[in-house]
Amino acid sequence: MQTSASHSPSLPAAPQAASVRMPGPIRHYGRYLYLAINIAIIIFLLAPIAIVVVFALNPTPFIQFPPVGVSLRWFEKFFASRDFMHALGFSLEVAVLTTLSATVLGASAALALARGNLPGTRLIVATMLSPLMLPAILTGLALFQTYVLLDVGRPTWGLVAGHTLVTLPYVVRTTLAVLHNFDTRLEEAAQNLGASPVRTFFEVTLPLIKPGVLAGAIFAFIVSFDQFPVSLFLVSPGNETLPVTLFNYLKFDLDGTIGAASVVSIVLAFVVVIGLDRTVGLRSYVKL
Amino acid sequence: MSASIEIAGVSKVYDGGVRAVDAVAMDIRQGEFFSLLGPSGCGKTTTLRMIAGFETPSAGAIRVDGADITHVPAHKRDMGMVFQNYALFPHRTVAENVAFGLRMRGLDKATIATKVKAALAMVELSGLEDRRPAQLSGGQQQRVALARAIVIAPRVLLCDEPLGALDKKLRQQMQFELKQLQKKLGLTLVFVTHDQEEALAMSDRIAVMNGGRVEQVGTPTEIYNQPTTRFVADFIGDTNIFRGERAAAGQSLDVGKGLILALPTEAQGTGVLSVALRPEKIRLIPRADAATPAGTSAHGIVENTNFLGGAVLYRITLEGGHRVLVQQPNAGTSRLFVPGNGVTLQWTPADLVVLKD
Repeated sequence: MQTSASHSPSLPAAPQAASVRMPGPIRHYGRYLYLAINIAIIIFLLAPIAIVVVFALNPTPFIQFPPVGVSLRWFEKFFASRDFMHALGFSLEVAVLTTLSATVLGASAALALARGNLPGTRLIVATMLSPLMLPAILTGLALFQTYVLLDVGRPTWGLVAGHTLVTLPYVVRTTLAVLHNFDTRLEEAAQNLGASPVRTFFEVTLPLIKPGVLAGAIFAFIVSFDQFPVSLFLVSPGNETLPVTLFNYLKFDLDGTIGAASVVSIVLAFVVVIGLDRTVGLRSYVKL
Repeated sequence: MSASIEIAGVSKVYDGGVRAVDAVAMDIRQGEFFSLLGPSGCGKTTTLRMIAGFETPSAGAIRVDGADITHVPAHKRDMGMVFQNYALFPHRTVAENVAFGLRMRGLDKATIATKVKAALAMVELSGLEDRRPAQLSGGQQQRVALARAIVIAPRVLLCDEPLGALDKKLRQQMQFELKQLQKKLGLTLVFVTHDQEEALAMSDRIAVMNGGRVEQVGTPTEIYNQPTTRFVADFIGDTNIFRGERAAAGQSLDVGKGLILALPTEAQGTGVLSVALRPEKIRLIPRADAATPAGTSAHGIVENTNFLGGAVLYRITLEGGHRVLVQQPNAGTSRLFVPGNGVTLQWTPADLVVLKD
């Protein structure tokens, strides 16, 4: 408990820590090596994004290094294109609907799995997480065949259902993780104080598992917004998501518009993450 | 108002046939500090959880003020509970934690604010309203948990080892404060603990539990001075337990190795009996040369001593081989013995307690 900490300051703590340290120069080399490796990893992760940005801002209609100047012409072209604008709007719509359905379904499923004392829990979890292990292109193809068999055409809800399927594992996973460390006595305390089970859920359970649910929701949004293989099979002509539109565009043109579209996507994803964090609050609950 | 609780033949059997609680029956009176005492796994916490409504009895009934609440859900029982490790809501401030039960009861904001303030003042936490539980010390968290439970003026206050996580000094202080608060508010309080000293110090009555059953219910003095079972005698405090054969109509017990114990006049039962004799009920004097009266005295040698400050605990081997604990007050007049000293032990038959096995 915290109270015991007040007794400790008198203890001499330093000697043990000092004795295991390596001699000066070796320690320094180790430190530089560690830093160098980390910097290399960061460069490796960020380089593709930097290339895309350079590509988007370079005025020439092909990839060129070093860039010959800075221009916003590809952004102008992207925003002026009705096809791209429509695709962007449609992608956002699908991503929002997917996030909602995946979050509600995934969090509920995780709660049931963690608490429900269901038979075969591990099997159900494995099934729910299986879309992560299957190539998404197979999931897309299977859904496409199913829709054809059911003769439902290619409605927006069909696309959202497909996206929900591949994003559900993220929400289930992250919610299960927070539920794993959840102290159920907190719920008992709430009930003891007069909260009905429903009230207990909204007053205690949900606020405390929110970081996990929200992390899952963010994954769901980003995965849906970026989703290509599943969308490829399920979009209807004239109603395509941004990644599919970009793919189609690439088949005939390769210019900076692709780069501009990518930069816009990156910025949008960023805005959504920051926005969710600020409004619903990822960091406000310490106990995870 | 505070209520009485009647636990009538309650059992709890878990899947797989584990009998956590076995036909427990007890009456807890209104305004009483009642402890459930026993080792871990004795069923005390399960009993408390059934009173709170977190577990449903497999058999039997629980009545509060005569009304059957066996199947009333926990949130409608109107009981306060202080959990082991407190179970404070980490996402809420101290004031919000205390206000929770009042909010669930639909009270208006002004009333809630007044009551929260009064409750925090009662546990001496005024000024910490806006802290989060994680920012408090263990003792402060304990007080918040207590304030949260009593602010709703519960019919019954349930405490599940509430002081277990505190260090000794703080623990004694909280024992004292909790007891005072309970008396002041006239609360019916059910207190679960495995600490016999804590139970003896705080309770009006104690139920000693073992293996899912109640061994004995009584006041601390009764539990200590007249334990009825071997388990109770052994669990509460230090004791010497002897087992022997009582001759029909005889007034003494032959416990073997040449030791005879005179039984109290009212002692019941014949055949094989167990008796308990508390270490502090035995007098210790330097070995007397004269023959000692059989049945109320014996000779021995001090094996080792344990200085407790206010008293000294001696481990003594009797001439026949029995090993006996004797506790003497560390009074200025009495002589302290050292290992190797020859001593004579004296006791009165009335201090022997006959036990059920």
